[in-house]
Amino acid sequence: MINNTIQRELHLPQPREQVWEAIANRDALADWMYPNDFEPRVGHPFTFQVPPKPEVGFEGLIVRCEVLECEPPGWLMFSWSVAGPVENTRVSFRLESEGDGTRLLFEHAGFDLSQPGGKQAFGGAQYGWAMMLEKLTTVLSNQGNQP
Amino acid sequence: MEITSDFEPDVFHAISHRARREMLDQLTDDERSVSVIASHFSMSRPAVSQHLRILLDAGLVTERRHGRERRYRLVPEKLAPVRDWIAHYERFWDDHLQRLQNHLSKKNEK
Repeated sequence: MINNTIQRELHLPQPREQVWEAIANRDALADWMYPNDFEPRVGHPFTFQVPPKPEVGFEGLIVRCEVLECEPPGWLMFSWSVAGPVENTRVSFRLESEGDGTRLLFEHAGFDLSQPGGKQAFGGAQYGWAMMLEKLTTVLSNQGNQP
Repeated sequence: MEITSDFEPDVFHAISHRARREMLDQLTDDERSVSVIASHFSMSRPAVSQHLRILLDAGLVTERRHGRERRYRLVPEKLAPVRDWIAHYERFWDDHLQRLQNHLSKKNEK
């Protein structure tokens, strides 16, 4: 009832190997995500450093990740932890060849709406995070109009 | 971080327990009495009532007397804050996946 998994499907004109390079490479990830120290190796811990945006009151944040599964050029999964309900969530990319191009299946799963103990007022933390996300998405959509 | 108070953390707290989420799931199609709800759980009847009380306080269910029993009904619109919160994340990824596509097409122009 409460869907806590985000799924997206993209159809890309680029071949699978090229898409893989864009999702499993530190520099490429920095271009479309954030500065990071990713390595395509299972067990490798890394972070995304989301920079502050003072003009919208966003303080920036660190996303803690770990490579959980990595099977070039078709499958990548890493954990994604920020705070509260976004602790050990799982981000994954499945790449399937589709003619000359690629079908990308994206999933962000495991938002934990069942905090251990249940007594934590994590609504507060969640809301704080939601506000930050909102600012961040606003920032991004403003940037989205630029090449 | 400063948290404003125009939010309903109670809703998040209410759904933070697996049993309470299962109770909500039971109420998606129809209202149910305490005894019917309790029959799905191994916990004691008072424990079930206590969980229902938390859902009631959060406004996620309504309660009405029907003869000698109480019946509970889901108020799905009260879950809006949770849905909205997930929606933020969806927008976040939509933006980033767009950036991924831009990244790939840039590469092709080189």
